[in-house]
Parts: sequence; structure tokens; C-alpha cells
Amino acid sequence: MKVSFTLNGDPITADVEPRTSLADLVRGEHRCTSVHLGCEHGVCGACTVLIDGKIARSCITLAVSLDGAMVTTLEGLADDALMARLREAFRTHHGLQCGYCTPGMLITAHDLIRRKGALAEAELRQGLAGNICRCTGYAGIVAAVAAAMDEHETTKSAASIAAE
Amino acid sequence: MKPMPFDYARAKDVPDALAALADADAGARVMAGGQSLVPMLNLRLATFPRVVDISKIAELRERSESADAVTLGACVTHGEIEDGEAPEPAAGLMRHVAAGIAYRAVRNRGTIGGSASLADASADWVTTLLALGARFIGRGPDGEREIAAPDMFLGPYFTAMTDQELLVRIVVPKTSRDATWGYYKVTRRSGEYGLSIGAVILDPAREHASVVLGAASRTPLACTAAAAALRGAPRWTEALETALRTAIAEDLARAERPFEPHEAIMVETTILRAAAQALGVS
Amino acid sequence: MAAPSAPPALAAIEAPRPGCIGDRVLRNEDARFLAGHGEYLADLDIPGTREIAFLRSPVAHARIRSIDMPPGAEGRVFLLKDLGDIHPVRAVLTTPGFRGSDYPALAADTVRFVGEPIAICLGATRAAAEDLAQEIVVDFDELPPVVEIEQALDPASPSLHGWPDNICFVSTPGGGEVDAAAKAAAVTVTREFRMARQCVVSLEGRGVLAYWDRRLQELVVYSSTQQPHVIRTVLAKLIGVPEHQLRVVAPDVGGGFGVKNNLQQEEVAIAALARRLKFPIRWVEDRREHLIASPQAREHRVRLTAHADARGKILGLEAEAVVNAGAYSIWPWSAAMEANMVAGILTGPYAIDAYKGRGVTVVSNKAPLGPYRGVGRPSACFTLERLVDEIAAKVGREPHELRIDNMVRPEQMPYRTVTGKLFDSGDYAESVRQVAAMIDVPAVRARQARQNGTGPRRIGLGFASYTEQTAHGTDEWIARGLTEVFGYETATVRFTPDGKLIIEAAIQNHGQGLETTLAQVAAQELGVDPADVVVRHGDTAVSPYGMGTFASRSMVMAGGAVGRASRQLGEKVKRIAAHLLQVKPADVTLANNCAVAGARSVPLKSVTDAAFLHPENLPAGEDPCLDETTTFQPLSGTGAFAYATHAVVVEVDTGTGLVEILDYAVAHDCGTMVNPMIVEGQVQGGVAQGIGNALLEESPYDSGGQPLASTFADYLVPGAPEVPTVRIAHLETPSPFTAYGIKGMGEGGAIAAPAAILNAVNDALRPLGVELNETPITPKRILTALHDARTERAR
Ligand SMILES: Cc1cc2nc3c(=O)[nH]c(=O)nc-3n(C[C@H](O)[C@H](O)[C@H](O)COP(=O)(O)OP(=O)(O)OC[C@H]3O[C@@H](n4cnc5c(N)ncnc54)[C@H](O)[C@@H]3O)c2cc1C
Ligand code: FES
Ligand code: FES
Repeated sequence: MKVSFTLNGDPITADVEPRTSLADLVRGEHRCTSVHLGCEHGVCGACTVLIDGKIARSCITLAVSLDGAMVTTLEGLADDALMARLREAFRTHHGLQCGYCTPGMLITAHDLIRRKGALAEAELRQGLAGNICRCTGYAGIVAAVAAAMDEHETTKSAASIAAE
Repeated sequence: MKPMPFDYARAKDVPDALAALADADAGARVMAGGQSLVPMLNLRLATFPRVVDISKIAELRERSESADAVTLGACVTHGEIEDGEAPEPAAGLMRHVAAGIAYRAVRNRGTIGGSASLADASADWVTTLLALGARFIGRGPDGEREIAAPDMFLGPYFTAMTDQELLVRIVVPKTSRDATWGYYKVTRRSGEYGLSIGAVILDPAREHASVVLGAASRTPLACTAAAAALRGAPRWTEALETALRTAIAEDLARAERPFEPHEAIMVETTILRAAAQALGVS
Repeated sequence: MAAPSAPPALAAIEAPRPGCIGDRVLRNEDARFLAGHGEYLADLDIPGTREIAFLRSPVAHARIRSIDMPPGAEGRVFLLKDLGDIHPVRAVLTTPGFRGSDYPALAADTVRFVGEPIAICLGATRAAAEDLAQEIVVDFDELPPVVEIEQALDPASPSLHGWPDNICFVSTPGGGEVDAAAKAAAVTVTREFRMARQCVVSLEGRGVLAYWDRRLQELVVYSSTQQPHVIRTVLAKLIGVPEHQLRVVAPDVGGGFGVKNNLQQEEVAIAALARRLKFPIRWVEDRREHLIASPQAREHRVRLTAHADARGKILGLEAEAVVNAGAYSIWPWSAAMEANMVAGILTGPYAIDAYKGRGVTVVSNKAPLGPYRGVGRPSACFTLERLVDEIAAKVGREPHELRIDNMVRPEQMPYRTVTGKLFDSGDYAESVRQVAAMIDVPAVRARQARQNGTGPRRIGLGFASYTEQTAHGTDEWIARGLTEVFGYETATVRFTPDGKLIIEAAIQNHGQGLETTLAQVAAQELGVDPADVVVRHGDTAVSPYGMGTFASRSMVMAGGAVGRASRQLGEKVKRIAAHLLQVKPADVTLANNCAVAGARSVPLKSVTDAAFLHPENLPAGEDPCLDETTTFQPLSGTGAFAYATHAVVVEVDTGTGLVEILDYAVAHDCGTMVNPMIVEGQVQGGVAQGIGNALLEESPYDSGGQPLASTFADYLVPGAPEVPTVRIAHLETPSPFTAYGIKGMGEGGAIAAPAAILNAVNDALRPLGVELNETPITPKRILTALHDARTERAR
């Protein structure tokens, strides 16, 4: 069955079985292997991507249901300023060990910051609750996201002051 | 962990979807957000020859508001309710509940209609919509019918709707402006289904109180004795708490099976805390 | 006794230099993971690869009567008989009394646990392979299953392996006069403890991809494994391909924690089949397979008795540990590893002279048991540390003070324990004092006095101390009776002609930061920038032979090997540099990518240029090239002992049975730290897993032997809201037995958390007459205990 959508800015058309998940499609033919599979039933968050700008689980989204959609994986955020900030913060705060949860964690954190701005630690942790990391115990991740969030808020307010 | 093969069709409107469901032998199943259906397919716990995608049907994405009710299309997502992109009938309860379902990535696709149709006994909307006295509008080969909340949820994964029917919208009566609510969900891991859910709505202006216990039994339990004890109660007192405990015991005795001691403690806590929250004590 | 490593001696570091041992160097490996460019097994893109689904047993115990193949199965479905002449895995201990059993790569006659592989099914996609697997019909003659420990101990239960009963091994460690201790004791406390069976849950499952390389005439096996070299050795034996024609590669590995530290049946079956096929085949373990069919962990029942004097000084211990090891012995550890370890280390960090232990390993129709972070230690620590708290309650003392009194003292080091371990160095009591100060015991006690009893939420404080044996040397593995002795590690350190450094190590890095810390060790010796050092590992074709990453060994062992090789290589660099600078080699030091002698210096690049491309510039008699391979063994055959004390404050909600962690502090000592940032990450990550062990994780089976947790909806692992950020204090007592004084520490965080948390919960609930000695401590268990205690009081 044919489906066409935009993947990381490029229009693609794929011919897939209806049972193919979005994760399997983008990982396979399109080599977006930042999308990891940790459970394939929606719990772990390793497969998190953006669909039309909103985070979603690519393991429980059928590829054929995405005709006309805009799909973004971590590969598509290589030049995004907030994502660059997050990557830097993850490195500085030792927010990753084996790296398997990392792409999903980054995309979730990116969404959280854009949607919520400043958050207290407890809320930030709630916001990351849908992404399992088995290695780090989350401390480095939470510190990294908090740091990127702070910086993002600072630049945002600097930008709005400049605009006035 | 991959599904069995199936056909896929995207329904453009409700008649299109109903046509797909009409042929019982075809074994078609509708998919809204897919957030429960696809995991089941992946695990091969369920197989259907045909999946009919209703998530893009404009009618099912509509939401509207009248003087006394809010109407939500079946395919309004948890995320949209969380974000206030749908009118709020109950002083913020719906937004609060939506924000506590699963995780944002699931909420962005999962729908209120999917949740109600699946009727998982632990699902948040099942408990909440019963507490709010919602009405479910199904449409099938014979047209539309309305199902009141108490008649909707018949058992775990079992509703009053037939396989040929589509849940098209949910009508949620508005509470009065100064109504208060409490919602207490016990989970071992945040974002997961509740082990026990207490939903309490107090609407003194209408002399109405409703108390529902979710997740702890095969279907949510309307705790009418607890509701009676709470009706008109102005504030949380020790006497009220004592009365409530007695009432809760009475309600629990009506459950379809006796609660084990540890369950009884947990569900009592859940209801008491939801009630206290509704009365401004947290 | 094996010869200890010869000089050069690598002394502990006095003052850390930037980029070297002791510095918080950011990780080299991060960039690729942060870009999403990690390459895990499922990401490998080898043309023509077909995907595998295993047909696995749906029943716990049965004889296979027949297997009915669907049409089209020819060339796509493979049974044991189709894999050629291969040997079953037979993981045994050399210790007399150990009962061995065969574990075939695919079950042919009998299945012994749900999830045991029966057939390999191939498809263009995994989905197609699963379709095929679903069509195969197996006719099972079901046998009664043996499920729980009590059944396995019952001589009347059916025997799984044709032994007289289901007891695989009994060890009886100990020494000293326990009877005398019992007589002398003022108090004797006995309890039974249970730690539930767990799944390991690396976020990436296991996986194998294999093919025959026609050009090199070798079988290539990619595996998500922690130990490629030893897997090659054992695979070669089992499937009959000589080692020089077998290459095992571990690509990026998404977490291991022990579950990838075994020979896997799937590895054997896939390697054997790939040898006979003309195309690559790959299996990627999915979550359900991981939760039911991967090696599982724990499931211990320990009865422990302590005899103590009136002040709580422990005079003697008696223990019986029974471990349900599941259906088979897995290689190389054998089924008996857990019970033997629990029984062997039960005296903990304490100076206890009299101990009588018994470790019993039973087999059952559950998934085989394998190592998981901490192996037997979390259970040993949980058991002993819970009992210490009960002794403290009985003699009316603060639990942390009782610990201090019982611990091995610094002046007793090195200290030989009653079970023969040699504690190397450290001030154990100081870890208790420091963590008690961090958690502020008086403040917690005051808060308890204020809060407990006023509402449903009660505060509790818990401590737990342990020693963690790490970098086990030759003696330890021999004493354990392993058929292979993992006593050393190897590394090659080589410069390239342009002056950069490559380290080739036999360990496997899957989150531990070894691509950075090994570079730091080389930087220490060679003055290179660690960011410029490439560490290649996890591939039998790129490094000399070595053992792999497990048992908190890699930093000590591979670090030692890199240190020795670098030191030796540095001597040569200095000789060449001295020649170029016209000074004496002894006057040359290496720093900032240069060789320096007083005011004169030459870039390393010039040295490597001479060494590789201009032999005419070398001193007379100096061989060209710059590389060095050495091995490392610790000076003590039982390795180096890290230790720590954890302290935790919890709030127990007596209305819901939920436990919230309010504060968590750790004071630990892992000797010289190569990179404190990475050490803290390991502690934190270990504590998170320990929290799972204490509160959430359990793999229950029904009476028919069906595993009940097969998805993440039933098997709960902690998320960000469930794990607090741990406050960590470092003590740093170098080990006298290792290079630079480093001790391993990768498992420690996970060891003490279950004990500390259960102690805290019990501290909170003790006034209500509740005592809980079972993990995980679920709402159901807590509320049931509260109910029972209430009923008891009412009587
Ligand atoms: C990790 C995870 C955690 C979760 N945690 C929670 C939680 O805490 N609380 C909670 O309440 N839920 C939870 N859920 C479930 C989630 O809320 C789902 O979104 C919801 O249950 C189903 O909605 P859906 O739109 O995705 O339905 P689908 O998965 O598309 O469909 C579910 C079922 O309903 C049927 N159906 C759907 N729409 C209609 C319709 N309009 N008419 C008739 N039949 C229909 C389908 O045929 C199917 O049988 C969780 C899910 C996941 C993956
Ligand atoms: S793989 Fe999609 S949520 Fe785990
Ligand atoms: S870094 Fe390994 S799972 Fe998060």
C-alpha cells in the first residue's frame, strides 16, 4: 500500500504493508536509525518522533495512517538550535550512558521545553516519565534538561526584550 | 513483535466508516488514535482482517458547547483536552484528567472516544465520564442512539455499543460554575493505568454529588452512599470522614466481588482523598 | 597462584592533571549517540539479510511429540537437526558435587521453560518470520512443571534433568566456631527473606546477526554481547569452526547489566545456521522475548540467624540461601553462581569470625538465571542489612552506630574474611559516618517524631553497607570452579604515523564510558589529548584476546593493561625524543602532545614520524614503529573491594502502600577514580535499578509455569519521577593491588538500594507492628502487612 509524507523535510513515497509501523518504515528504507525500539508497545519512549510537530510513539503508529503528514526524527533536528543546546547539555551533565534511550529522550525534552518553558523539577520529571532510561538513573538527564530549559528561557526573554 | 497482516482503509466520513463495519464477516475494526489497538496488534493479542482509520473524519474531530453541555467528537485527543483546545465542562476536571493519562506522546494521538469504546476498567475517561454523567452518541445502521453513562460500561472491554456502531460523540453535562471536584489516581509508576481511581464531583448549586471508584473492579463503581454523605457537606470534618467511611463500606459491599483487605484499604483511601480534594483539602 | 603482573608499577595518582586520571573529562562517545548515530545490532545494514523469529515454547515443561511444518517451510524453518553437528551447551563448575545438564541450542525432545527456543524461522521481514512461526504446530506431551522454590526442594517433584532431585549444587562456606558464638550471644535473631525473580531489561534487547564471509573464509557473528572474545572461544568449540575463522563483533550495545554476559542459545543456533547459508541472518530480541526468555535474575530465599552480644556486636552468623536458578545452567557462570555468591559473602563488611553458610541451587521450569548487576550481592546485602536493623531494634541502638561497631577496621587491612576473601583497603566505618552526616540522622528522627502517627504518611530512615568484590583475579575464578579463568585483561596501545593514538581493548563499552576513561589512562602516561584518542573494542578482529566487560572489572583490568602498555610505549617515545632533542631519556617527560626536556621540546608527531616513516632518525638499535600490547592482572587473586554505605529517607503512605523516596545519599570508596563524573553516573544508575528491585520489579509465574509479566505494562521499571537524584560523597582509598589504586564500582549502586529502602520502610512501619522482608515491596504487600498487623493488635 502506498503512502506519501514528508520525512525530515523530504517528501517520500513508500509502498508498505499496512501493518508496518512508522518506526520500521523510517528505520528501514530511510535509515533513520536514531529511532530505537525498546518495547514496541508504547511504554518506553525510545521510538519517540514528531508527527506534525507533536511528539508521538512511532512503534504504535501505522505508517499508512500518515498520508500527508510531516514526520521528523532526531536526524531532522540536526540543525535545530534548541536541540543543539540539549545535546550539549546532555554531554555536559552526563545525561547518557549506552545512548539507546537518548534520541527519544532528546525529542521529548525538546517538546517539553517548547511547550512548557520553565518547569519545577518535579514537573520536569513528570514530563520525562514516558521515556525509560535503564542506565543513567535520570539525574544527568534531569540536570541537562533543566539547564537547557533555563538557557532557552533566558534567550527567549533576551529576544523579547530586544524586540521591544 | 509485529502484527499479523491486515488491510487498511481510511474512512473519509462516518457513513464510509459505517459501511466498512456493516459487513460483519469482513471483520473490520475501527482505529482512532491506535494507542491501544496497535499495541494489541503488535503483541498479536488481537487480529483483525481490516483496520478502518477514523482519526481524520472531520465530524469526529468537532467540539461544541451549549448552555448546559459540552459535546466532544469521539476523535478529540487527550492532548487537545489537556491543552484546553476543547471546551471544559467541569471546572477543569477534564483537563486535569487528560493531563494524567499515559504520556504526552500517547496523549497526542489517543482519543477520548477510543478510550470510552475500549472500556478498559482502569481507564481514566471511563471513570471520569461516568462521574460526569456523560451521554454517548453511537451511530449504526439504524441511525443514532444515545447511551447514558451508567448503561455504557458493561464490563471490562465491553460496552453497550455493537460491532456495527461507531461512537461519534460524547455529550458531557456542564457542572455549575462553583462546582468542585477531586480526582485521585494511584499508580505505581507515573503515567500508567491506575490501580485505583477516585473521582468526586460536588455541585452544591444543583444539590448534586457524584462519586465513582475506578480501576478497582470490573467496571467503575458508582458510590451512591458516599455521594449521599457528601451532598451538601460544606467542608471536611472528622464527622464527615467517619460518615464517609461507613458509606464507602456500604458502597463496596455492592461491588461484584468482595475486596481483599489490601484493596479495601487502597480504594477507601482513593475515595476519601478525592472527596477531601473536592472540599479543598489536599 | 598465578603470577601477579610484573612492573612497571603504576602508583596511585597524587594530583590529577587535566585530561588524565581523576579529571571529569566529558565523554568521547557522546557525540555519535547524541546525533542518533549509535549503531546497534538492529541498525546494521548488510544487504540480503533475512530476519529471524524464534518459535518458542508456549508451555513450561513438555516432551515434544512432533512438529508439523506449514507449506513453504522448506529452507525457512530450521530445527536442531538442521544445524549440523553441534554440541549442546554444558555449563558446569569443576567443583565436586555440581550436577551438570545439557542445554541444546534449540529444544528437540523436551522443553523446560516458557520461551525456550525450538525453531528458527526466516523471513524477508521480522513480521513475515513471525507469521511463519505462528503456522508451525508443535504437539506437546505436557509434563508437570516445577515452579516455585518449595516445589523444587520437594524430592517428590518430577526431576528436570534425570538427577535424583532438582538440587543442582550445595555449597557450605564458612569457618570459626558458630556454636560457641551462639552460646555466648545475648541476642539471637532469625529471619527469612525473599527477593523476587527479576528481568534484567537492557533497553536494547539481545540480538545476533551472522554470515559466512566468503573472501576471508570466516564466520562473522555480530552479537549484542559484553564479551566477544570468550564468546568466540566457546562458539568455536560448540559449532566446530576454528577460532581463527570466527570473528565476533559487538557493535554499539544498548545496555547490558549482565544479560549480555552469557553465551546465549540464540548465538549458538544462529552461528551454526549461518555457516550453512549463503546470506546473513539476524535476530533482534523484542521486549516480550526479553521479559520471558532472556536470562532472569534473583529469586532467592535466605534464612539468616545472627548471634550478637548485648550491644549488638555480631558474634556469629548462620545462613541458608536457596536460589531458584531456572531450567538450565548458562555458560560460563553455571546455575550455581547466585547461591554460591550469596552464601559466600554474607558476612558483608563486618568482622565476623564465625559463620556457617549453605548455598543451595535448585532448578525449575522457569527461564534460566544469569548475572544481573550485583549478581548475588543485592540479596546478600538485603538479607544481612535487614537483620542488622532487627538486631539494632532488639538491643535498642541506632542502626548506623551498630554498623560502625561491627565493621572491619582500617588497621585490620588487608583483612581475610571467614570465607577467604581478602579485603584490600579502606575505612568502612567512615562511609557510615559520612552518609549519616549527609542524611542528618537527628533531623530525620525529629521529623519522624513530628510527623509519624499524625496522618497516613510515615517517615522512615534506612541504611545499608556492603563491600563489592571487583576485578576478580585468577584465584577467585578458580575458587568458584569456573571452566575458564577470567583473571586478566589485555590492551594494545599504538600510535599512528601522524601522532595520534589508538587503543585496542578486548573489553566492550556499553555505557560505562570506557572510550573516554581508557583514553584518560593513556593521557596520564603519554601526555596525549584524551579527546584525540580512539578506543576500539568489542571486536575479536581489532584487539588482542581478552575477557570482556562484567563483574566491575573493565576499569581496573583494561585500565591496568592500557596503563602498562602506555608506560612501556612511553619509555620508547622518550628514547626516540631524547635522541631527537639530544638529551638523556630520563630527562624527557610527556605532556601536551609533546616530549619535553627542560626548555626544549619536540611534538609527539615528530617522534611518530621518526618511528614509522624515518627509521634513519631513530637512535641506534631502536626498532621502528610504536605499539605495545600488555596484559594486566591484579596483585590479589580475589581482586579489589569497593565499599559504600547508602542512606535513604522514605515516606510510606499507609493509605495506598506507595513508597516515596525523599532523600538518598551514598558515601562510597572505589579507590582512585579515573573520572568522577562517570563514577557518579554509575552510582546513580545502579541506585535506580536498586529502586526498581526494591519497589517495582518482579517476574511472577503462575502455577503452570507461565510468566505473568511479558510487557512493560506488567513489568514496571522506574521512570524519572520514581528516582531521586542521589547525593554522593567520595572516599578515595587506593587499592594496593591494582594499577593506580583503582577499584571497580559498576555494580555498587544496585547492591545496597533494596536493603536501604526496605530498612527505611520497616523503620517507618515498625511502631505499627509491621515487618517486611520481601522484595519488591508493593502496595499489596505493604497494605496486607498493615492489615494483618491491625488485626493482630485488635486481638
Ligand atoms: C503507554 C500507555 C499508557 C497508557 N496509560 C493510560 C492511562 O494511564 N489511562 C488511560 O485511560 N489510558 C491509558 N492508555 C490508553 C490510551 O489512553 C489510549 O489512547 C486509549 O485507551 C485508546 O484510545 P485510541 O484513540 O488510541 O483508541 P484505539 O487504540 O484506536 O482504539 C481502541 C479500541 O476502541 C475502538 N474504537 C476507537 N474509537 C472508536 C469509536 N469512535 N467508535 C467505536 N469504537 C472505537 C477500536 O476499535 C479499538 O478496539 C495508555 C496507553 C499507552 C500506550
Ligand atoms: S518502542 Fe515505542 S514506546 Fe517503546
Ligand atoms: S543511556 Fe542507556 S538507556 Fe538511557
